[in-house]
Amino acid sequence: MQVFFLREAWRSLNAHRGLAMTAIVSLTAALTLCGVFLLLSFNADRTMRAVGDRREMVLYLRDEVSDAEVQALQQRLHDLYGTTTFVSRAQAWEEFSEQIGDPDLLEAVDTNPLPASVRLKLKPELMGYAETEKVARSVREFPEVEDVRYGAEWVQRLDAITEGLKRIALVLGLVVALAIVLVLHNTLRLTVLARRPQVEIMSRLGARDGFIATPFVIEGFMVTVFAALVSLAIVAGLHQVVAMRVSGLVFLPPVWMLAFVGGAGVLAWAAGSIAVTRVLRAVGP
Amino acid sequence: MIQFDHVTKRYGERLALDDVSWSMDEGECVSVLGHSAAGKTTLLKLITHEVQPTTGTVRVGTFTGGRLSRTTRALLRRTIGVVYEDFRLLADRSVFENVALAVRISGHFADSEVVPRTLHALQEVGLHDEQAKLPQELSFGQRQRCAIARAIVNRPAVILADEPTGALEPRSASEVLALLLRIHREGAALLVGTTRPEVAEALPGRRFELEEGRLRETGTSRGSLAPLGGGLAGGR
Repeated sequence: MQVFFLREAWRSLNAHRGLAMTAIVSLTAALTLCGVFLLLSFNADRTMRAVGDRREMVLYLRDEVSDAEVQALQQRLHDLYGTTTFVSRAQAWEEFSEQIGDPDLLEAVDTNPLPASVRLKLKPELMGYAETEKVARSVREFPEVEDVRYGAEWVQRLDAITEGLKRIALVLGLVVALAIVLVLHNTLRLTVLARRPQVEIMSRLGARDGFIATPFVIEGFMVTVFAALVSLAIVAGLHQVVAMRVSGLVFLPPVWMLAFVGGAGVLAWAAGSIAVTRVLRAVGP
Repeated sequence: MIQFDHVTKRYGERLALDDVSWSMDEGECVSVLGHSAAGKTTLLKLITHEVQPTTGTVRVGTFTGGRLSRTTRALLRRTIGVVYEDFRLLADRSVFENVALAVRISGHFADSEVVPRTLHALQEVGLHDEQAKLPQELSFGQRQRCAIARAIVNRPAVILADEPTGALEPRSASEVLALLLRIHREGAALLVGTTRPEVAEALPGRRFELEEGRLRETGTSRGSLAPLGGGLAGGR
């Protein structure tokens, strides 16, 4: 029976090539737009993660803190928040000297004024602005800690950019989903109406709505999956062109490509089923 | 098997059927004679639930009156074989595919049974050798035989024929009626609507006449294909 439905869908596609082609072009346009943004979103997300991985919180320690207390503090921080690196006063001076570079300026300073510190690299789930702020407030209460710095404004901005990208991706995804639904609804409606005599005869022979609808739904699915594959090819071509000028731009991984095509297919199946069932109710005798 | 109980059907102002009550038993043959627009097609459409009565109830087997759900309506139609004046064949499918479609729609048979059942039905109507042709490559008589093959391929308990000989010349008409009668003799109930008295005369069983929406029984016929001039009453 499955072969029968496939053959029927293929027959319908062949009989209405013009309609199918119009649908493919419209869907390819919508899906290409979605694909381009998906690619941008994927690369932006990847960059944000790389930047986020370098986020650090610096805990400046009081001068009177002993080595044993530092070790205990590091252990506590490790258990609660993430990995730590101890920077002694001498190491801090050394780093500072390297950054300044001017020996005359450094000689003007009599003694090392820099405090020892612990650099804390937070666990991934604590990297959001709100979570980081909460951690900073907590560790500031530790008796060994004099002050905490972590670039709050920068973290907040990074979070806002990531959040903004996610929202744009969601809105664009919804717009493309709506476009798929509308294009398929109209295409399948026209296809069913073009085959109205066939639908009426099948209905008079006692065919269930599901029996009549299945080939049309398969047709919508095939058209959409084909459009998704074409749009992926277009996006890959655009990526090749842009990647020659912008370094570090990577293409979507196979799982994302599969999700893109599969998602479009699933949406097409659902939209097609609803559309054809609605049209059949209006057409069938 | 089929029962109309005080059925009236109006299309807007026009009265198609007026307080019609009648019934038909299993295996019976009934003919309904009436001029064009007398209400014959409405009568058949009420049986297949293509239209609903304005008042009254129609019972077909265990399906009783009212507006049936689409699923139940489809189930009802699968128990009936219908033959139309204009054949209602799918123009882009071969004779074989037209008949096989009805088998697939029935949902009763596995894929492996579709081909032998279809071929058997085509054999019965004498179209075995024409199975690969498209309907438009057949004569009108052959097209109607194809429609009959589609109607009988699932062995329905009742066959409705709406002016089955309307588009046919006498010899083909005689062949088609002979075929319907043979199927009836094998056990199927047969209800034929026609404008031609000689067709009603050719069918054995009760005869009704429809005039201005009113149905009245006019007698019983023994059935003879002689007036049609085909002389094929015994079969093909």
